[in-house]
Amino acid sequence: MSSESDNTAEPREYQHDDDGGPQPEKHCGHGRGGMGEEVTRKEDKRFITGRGNYVDDIKKPRMLHCEIVRSPHAHARIEDIDGSRAMALDDVVAVLTADDLLEHDLATMPTLMDDTQDVLVNDKVKFQSQEVAAVIATDRYAAKDGAEKVKVEYDVLDPVIGAEEALEDDAPVIREELDGQDDNHIFDWETGDPEATEEVFDAAAVTVEEQMEYQRLHPAPIETCGCVADWDPGDDKMTVHMTSQAPHAHRTLFSQVSGIPEHKVRIVSPDVGGGFGNKVPIYPGYVVAAAASYVLERPVKWVEERSENIQTTGFARDYDMTGELAATEDGEIKGVKVDVLADHGAYNAAAQPSKFPAGFFNIFTGSYDIEAAYGSLTGAYTNTAPGGVAYRCSFRVTEAVYLIERMVKVLADELDVDPAEIRRQNFIPSDAFPYESATGWNYDSGDYEKALDKALEMADYEHYREEQQRRIENDADKLIGIGISSFTEVVGAGPGKQCDIAGIEMFDSADLRVNPTGNAVLRVGVQTQGQGHETTFAQIVAEELGMDVDDIVVEHGDTDTEPYGLGTYGSRSTPVAGAAAAVAARKVRDKAKSIAANELEAAEEDIEWDRESGEFHVVGAPDRSITITEIAAGAYMNHPGDEEPGLEATNYYDPPEMTYPFGSYIVVVEVDRETGEVDFEKFVAVDDCGNRINPMIIEGQIHGGLAQGIGTAMMEHVTYDDNGNVTGGDFMNYLLPTANEIPNFETGHTVTPSPHHPIGAKGVGESPTVGSPPAIVNAVVDAMSHADVSHVEMPMTPDAVWEVLDEAGLALEPSANVTFEFDDTTEEPADD
Amino acid sequence: MNFEGEFELEGVPPETAWSVLSDPMAVRDALKGCRYITPMDDDFNFDKYEAKEDVEMLPEADPDVVADRAFDADQKYAALMQVGVGSVKPQFETTVTITDRDDESFEMLASGGGDASGSSFSMNSGMRIHELENGEGSRIEWWTEADISGRIAQLGSRVIKPVSDKIVNNFFSNIQQQMTDVDEQANSGVTDKLRNML
Repeated sequence: MSSESDNTAEPREYQHDDDGGPQPEKHCGHGRGGMGEEVTRKEDKRFITGRGNYVDDIKKPRMLHCEIVRSPHAHARIEDIDGSRAMALDDVVAVLTADDLLEHDLATMPTLMDDTQDVLVNDKVKFQSQEVAAVIATDRYAAKDGAEKVKVEYDVLDPVIGAEEALEDDAPVIREELDGQDDNHIFDWETGDPEATEEVFDAAAVTVEEQMEYQRLHPAPIETCGCVADWDPGDDKMTVHMTSQAPHAHRTLFSQVSGIPEHKVRIVSPDVGGGFGNKVPIYPGYVVAAAASYVLERPVKWVEERSENIQTTGFARDYDMTGELAATEDGEIKGVKVDVLADHGAYNAAAQPSKFPAGFFNIFTGSYDIEAAYGSLTGAYTNTAPGGVAYRCSFRVTEAVYLIERMVKVLADELDVDPAEIRRQNFIPSDAFPYESATGWNYDSGDYEKALDKALEMADYEHYREEQQRRIENDADKLIGIGISSFTEVVGAGPGKQCDIAGIEMFDSADLRVNPTGNAVLRVGVQTQGQGHETTFAQIVAEELGMDVDDIVVEHGDTDTEPYGLGTYGSRSTPVAGAAAAVAARKVRDKAKSIAANELEAAEEDIEWDRESGEFHVVGAPDRSITITEIAAGAYMNHPGDEEPGLEATNYYDPPEMTYPFGSYIVVVEVDRETGEVDFEKFVAVDDCGNRINPMIIEGQIHGGLAQGIGTAMMEHVTYDDNGNVTGGDFMNYLLPTANEIPNFETGHTVTPSPHHPIGAKGVGESPTVGSPPAIVNAVVDAMSHADVSHVEMPMTPDAVWEVLDEAGLALEPSANVTFEFDDTTEEPADD
Repeated sequence: MNFEGEFELEGVPPETAWSVLSDPMAVRDALKGCRYITPMDDDFNFDKYEAKEDVEMLPEADPDVVADRAFDADQKYAALMQVGVGSVKPQFETTVTITDRDDESFEMLASGGGDASGSSFSMNSGMRIHELENGEGSRIEWWTEADISGRIAQLGSRVIKPVSDKIVNNFFSNIQQQMTDVDEQANSGVTDKLRNML
C-alpha cells in the first residue's frame, strides 16, 4: 500500500477456500462453464440481435429533451443571458440558467476530488464548450433550434492553455473565486525518499534523463454520456437512467447534491456502450436534466453529441514527465526519479481515490527491484475541460508504466545493452514476492522473467535483431525497430481504509439467491460497459457451487435491486466484486452443507463438497451424493428445523490488498525513412492476470486494449489552440484507430495466481492499454537509436516521425518515382 | 489567426476603387452571405432590422445619396453575415467600427467582432489602395488579425483558410465588376463628384 496513507488497516485474513480454490489451468470449467472455460458471452445474444437497451433507447411518455448551450470562449465573464428568442419558439418549454438552478441550490456540484464545478456557469466561463444554459423542448430538434437562439453576452478574457504557462507569474488566474487562490497552482505531491534517492544518484556510475509528455487523451466511448431523469411527484422519487460506471456511488452523490433522500433516488445504468473511465464522474448534463425534470415534473432526456463528449467530459493523462535513472556500469538500476507537471483543466475533477491526488502514479518503479525512488508532481488549473480520469487503467498507472518502460529503454541505449537483457537483470525475482517497493507498494505475486521469455520466443526476437542490423548495414529505406514493455499494474482498489471515493470505502458486493428449482440470480455492485460480467460472474458462481453456468443470471446496474458497490473502473470488477461473488457462493455452499446433511441423513461435518463433480457427498461414501439443484429444493420444501428456510447469501468484500497483473509486450515496427510511416511487423502480448475465468473474454479484452494503445501511441491527442479552442475535439480531428491501423495480434499467457484473492484472479481489462504504448514508442525509438534518437513523442504521426528522422540525419528525400498530383479541377460543393 | 493579401485591379484608378469600397451597399453586394451592412446605434436589434432591398447602386445612383451612406470614421455598423465552413453554417451578427479613414492615402481601418451560435470572432482589419506602377490601375492591400472562437475555430486553420480565401477572392472579383461599371461611367464625373463630397 502507498506510504502516503497512514490509514493502514490491520492485516486481514485471506478468504481462501478449504480446498485451495479453483485451478482453472488444471481443471477447466468442469464441463459446467466454471472457471477456465471459454463460455460464449450471455449478453451477446441481445447485442447481436439489436435488443440492447441503451440510455438513448429509453422513451417515456411526456418526455422532454434537453440541449445545452455552450460557451465558444475558453475564458470569459458572462454579462447577460437572454433566452427570450428561444422561448418564443413553439416547442421550447423552458430555458434554464444558473439563476434558475440557484433557486434549487443546484448551481454547483462537487467533483470527485472535492472541487466545486458549475453546473451552469454563474459568473465566469473557464473552458471552451462549458455549460452556460439549457433549453428544454418537446423534441430534440426543437431543443437544438432553441439553443441556437439563446443570446449570451461575454466579456472575453485571456485564456491560459498549458500547465507550464498556467504556472507563470503573470498568468491570468482562472479560479480566483476560491479562497486564497491567487495563482493556478492546485497541489504538490511527493513520494519516496528524496535523500536516499539523491545519495544513489550521486554515487551512480551512469545516469540518464528524458523528458516525455503523455498527451491529453479522451476515453471516447462509442456511446456518449446521457440520461433520462424522471421525477415522480406522486412518490417523491427521482429515477435516473444514466450512462454510469458507478450507479450506487452516483446515487449517493445525487442525493447529496439534490437534497432528495437517498432512498428516494434510483439510478439505473442500463446497457452502456463503453466507459473506459469516462462514465465515472458526474457531469453537469445529468444534473441539469434532473433539475429540469424536477421543475417541470416531466421526464427529461439529455444525450451528448460526439464533440460535446470529447470537449467537456473527463479527459485522461496530460502528464508532462521528466524521468531519471541511476545505474551501475553493468546495468543494475539503483534509483529512479521523476518530476511531473499535471494539467488538470479548469476544475480538479480527476477520478481517483480521494487520498491519491496523483492516483497510483508512485507505482513507477514498475517491474524492477530498485533501491531508491523519489517522485514529485505539481497539478495546475488551465482553461481546458476538467478531467484526469483513469482511461482504461488504474488511476495514473498508465503514465507510471510509460515512464519506467521508456526510461529502461533510454538506459539500455546509453549502456548499449540489449533492452530485454537489462530488464531480465533488474526484474523483481519471482521468489521475492510478496515484495515491497521503494514507494511502499506490496506486490502480491509475479514471475516477470517467465512472461518476457515467452514473449521473446513468440516474437522471434533474435531474428528481428539480425534483420534490424542487416537493414542498418545496407542503408535500407525501411528500418526495423523492436520495442519491449514488461509492465506491472496495480488494480482492484480498495482496500477501503486506503481507497475511497467521496468518503465511501472501495469495497464491492454480491448477493446470490438460489431459487427452489435450482437456478440462481447473482446481483453485483459493479456494472458492465461491455466487459462481459453477465458471463464471467456466472462462471465464478458455477465454479463455486457446482451449478451449470446457464442456470445463473447476473443482474447489475439498478440501485433499487443491487447491493451497494463502488462501480467498474481500475480493473476492480473481478478483483473485488468477483471475490465477493465467490465468497457469497461459498457462504451459500456452507448453508447447502447443512441441507445436504439433512437430506442425506448424515452429520454436517461428514458432508464434503467436491469441486470436480460439483456435488456434496458423505465422506468416504461418494455414492451418497446430492447436487445443488436437489439441495435448493430442500432449502424451500424440507428445510432443517434448526436453519432458516431459503438459500441465499450476500458478501461485501473489502480486499485485503490490491492485485498486480503483469505482462511482456513486444512490438516490431518498420519505419519508412521517406515518409515517416510506421508499420507493425509483429505485435506480441503475453499477459499474466492470475487465474483466468474466461480465456476468450480475456483475449477480447486484450485485443480491444491493444487497439486503444495503438491509438494512444500513433493517433490520439486532444489539442488546443492559443485561444483555447479545442482543435482535437471531434472524430475528424481526434483520430481513433480503425481496422486499417490495427495489425494482427499474437497473444499468450502465463498464470501466476494472486495469493490473497479468493479465486486467485487479478483483473486484465486494462493491461493492454497500460502496457502497449511504451512498447510501441520503444520500437519506433529502437529503429532510430543507432542514430542517437532517444525519444519520440506521442502521437507518432508520420510527420512527427519524419521530423525525428530528419533531425537524426536518417530521412530520405522522396524517391524519383513518387509524384504528387493535385486535382485542381474538382468542383467545390455548393454552399447551400 | 492572420489573413492578408493583395488584389490588383487593372484599369481601375485608385479614386474609383476608393469610392466603391467606401460604399457599404457595394460591399454588401460583393460579399457573399452578407444580408446587410448598416449604421447602428445602441438600440439596434438584429432580429427586427430588415435589410433594404432595391437600393440604387453606382454608377446609376445619385452621388449625393452614395456620399451620404459612405463609411464614416468612428461610426459603428451592423452586419449580418452567413458563413459556411464545412457542415457548420453559422449566421454571424457582426458589429464593425471604422476606426480610421484617410481619403488622401486611401486607407481604411476597422475593428469589430461577431457572434453566431457556438462561434464568435473579433478582428482588426485594414486596407490601403495603391496606384499601380504603370499608372493604369489599383493595387489593394488588405490584412486582418482575427481571434476566432468556438465551433468554427475548432475546425482549425487548414479548414478556415481556404474558406476565407474563397470569400475574399469572391469579394474582389465581384467588387471589380462594380468598379469597372463605375469606371466606364467615369466621364460622367460620378467619381470626381463623389470624391469631392467624401
